[in-house]
Amino acid sequence: MDGHSVFQGRKRSSNYIGHKFDRKNHHLGHPGTPYASRPKRRRIKYSDEDQSFPSVWEDDKQQESELGLGARNRNLDSWFKVTIPNGKKYDKTWLIKSIQDFCSVPLNVVDFHYDKKRARFFVQNARTASALKDISNKICDETSQKIPILVTPSIVPYSVQNKFTSEQMEVLKVAVMKRYDASQKSLDLQRFRFDQDLMDNDIDMMLNRRSCMIATLQIVQRNIPELLALNVCNNKLYQLDGLSDLIEKAPQVKILNLSRNKLKSFFELEKVKDLNLEELWLEGNPFCNHVSDQSDYISAIRDLFPKLLRLDGKELILPAELILPAQMDIEVPQETRTDSELIKNLVLQFLKEYYLCYDNGDRFRLLDAYHDEACFSLAIPFNFNDPDMSNLEEYFKYNRDIKKLQDSYTRMRLLKHTKQDIVDSLSLLPKTQHDFCSFWVDLCLHTDIMLCFSVNGLFKEVEGKCQGCIRAFTRIFIATHYSNSRICIMNDELIVRNASPREIKNAFISLPPADTSSKPPLSEEQQEMVKSFSVQSGMKLNWSQKCLEDNGWDYTKAAEVFTIMQNEDKIPKEFFK
Amino acid sequence: MKKYSDWSRGDKHYGRSGYSSREPHTSYRYQKSQTREEVLTPALKEHAISSSPMAMAVDFKTHVDQACRAAEEFVNIYYETMDKRRHAIIRLYLDKATLIWNGNVVTGLEALAHFFEMLPSSEFQINMLDCQPVHEQATQSQTTVLVVTSGAVKFDGNKQHFFNQNFLLTAHSTPTSTVWKIASDCFRFQDWANI
Repeated sequence: MDGHSVFQGRKRSSNYIGHKFDRKNHHLGHPGTPYASRPKRRRIKYSDEDQSFPSVWEDDKQQESELGLGARNRNLDSWFKVTIPNGKKYDKTWLIKSIQDFCSVPLNVVDFHYDKKRARFFVQNARTASALKDISNKICDETSQKIPILVTPSIVPYSVQNKFTSEQMEVLKVAVMKRYDASQKSLDLQRFRFDQDLMDNDIDMMLNRRSCMIATLQIVQRNIPELLALNVCNNKLYQLDGLSDLIEKAPQVKILNLSRNKLKSFFELEKVKDLNLEELWLEGNPFCNHVSDQSDYISAIRDLFPKLLRLDGKELILPAELILPAQMDIEVPQETRTDSELIKNLVLQFLKEYYLCYDNGDRFRLLDAYHDEACFSLAIPFNFNDPDMSNLEEYFKYNRDIKKLQDSYTRMRLLKHTKQDIVDSLSLLPKTQHDFCSFWVDLCLHTDIMLCFSVNGLFKEVEGKCQGCIRAFTRIFIATHYSNSRICIMNDELIVRNASPREIKNAFISLPPADTSSKPPLSEEQQEMVKSFSVQSGMKLNWSQKCLEDNGWDYTKAAEVFTIMQNEDKIPKEFFK
Repeated sequence: MKKYSDWSRGDKHYGRSGYSSREPHTSYRYQKSQTREEVLTPALKEHAISSSPMAMAVDFKTHVDQACRAAEEFVNIYYETMDKRRHAIIRLYLDKATLIWNGNVVTGLEALAHFFEMLPSSEFQINMLDCQPVHEQATQSQTTVLVVTSGAVKFDGNKQHFFNQNFLLTAHSTPTSTVWKIASDCFRFQDWANI
């Protein structure tokens, strides 16, 4: 290695005599971070011929005194550095897109990177620079704060400056393709700098350098854009600004190995979050050693890469979210098909009848559904987050939460026993309208004689102080069902809570058609009424019929009710033709 | 165990609608059993089924109290075991027990053991508990209790969810104690539909 020139085709300046591969070059300040700001060590000279990392900072200081864009020695193809202070907090894609949207001139963003809190990139001509200056403080972010854009002249950006020749690119391509496994679509760029082919040809491929990363990604884009797995382990990567272009060059990459690099901050990962990673390797990076809470660390990684399955070689234990129910409305344990079908139908039929009666009819009619010695109780899950707990007061009266109720007497009192007691209490609960389409049923247990199932769903209050409030409920029924005949409820437990905003959004969307099947056929006169009501109101026939029925076939009354509801916008659009 | 002779005067109220507003003058206390993975309660006393309404009411009240005791005991042990001794949770289940977890059905001890192993470590917090004794006609005289809980749980690597859970516990009596085991377990996140 001694005396071997690393810098092909360039004069070695005196700064680099005896430069060895892995010795930290103290002239560079912070090795390997092209655009990071470094400690205030002024470098006295640099020359274009050095394969060094010119500090673009320092150029700024020299040129800040120059006036605007019309300064001396500038031709139209000179470069400009664009800085967005606080740019770090914006998503790169959003930022560039917003700037592009506002900018009158097409934008070619070169070497986008972050420097402390700033976002920076380069553009090539004065027109673009001028256009960007114009839109400073014109773009507003999500918090309606204006985004300033600062433009200054600059030296040729780093990656352009150190562009590889076409011969070098050929060599690079060969080296890359040698490391490509087509069967796995994986590219192994571990310790790429020490690749024999590259060294033999005096190509110093330090992936930290923007130019090197860009060249490598270009090769990938041109030759293997279908890449699935990329390994850049052990390349002394300090930042991932360069790798953030990967999503454009090889969008299908699912496996990324960043282990044993020099990443110091978790934020680096945000630069590559566009990739849909399934497997990620991070171990051996400095920031991994500073993890205080493993669980939060994994959560944070998961937030960036929601599809991640493996981290550092270990399967991420199936997140609870991935264990999702199949889209069935009844889950039935190991059972012969005919039996499970029968039970399913039995339960569904029961629920239909039960809730029809519960909502529309007289709840006293439910006496038939219960066993003489049945039990019923109600409980409300206590949730500090719910700001509207007070609107459940009608239910709180009956809340039997034995966690909070230590007193044996009250516990007894609130457990309704015998069907008469139960039905009495049910009649006292607010009137409801259940959203049948929101129901999900779990069949917890069934034996020859017993059925235990729980129904989850939503209902709406239809009168009283809380009219219109949407509640979420879980109701557990334990019932006997002798030879698949009528269901007879032995235990009934109701849990009521306020529906979440999301649940409210999805409530009552699909309406079951008005159930006309079980009713006696309409007389001639009634049929006529329905027809004309439908014409006059614009509602579908079945809903017109319902409206008339609900108002005792009194046409005028039905029309009045309809008009009132119509004015209050209470009639869903689906009711109309 | 406290005798319930005080209550016989009040028994007439049970079985009629309307609620007595009498202040309770007894409070219920129980001993916490040792923390083993078993839910034990004092032995059931066999009650002869009497036709007198007062006697029947006493029977029922005993069942209710027993159910409450079992439920409280059980819930403490179950969630602590889930959080801190997950490997032992399987001991609380009957051989043929069924678990329905957000709609996924898991039956039998082996499948359950595997499931609980795969489930990330948890931190449960129970906000609500209710229970009912299940009528013997439904259970062929196997003493059963319905336990219903609600609360919040955080699984490792996931965000916190509110959940509802219900259990059917069945009793297996020995001369000195009653062991309760889970016959069925149904667990659902409150926001399962939005995941």
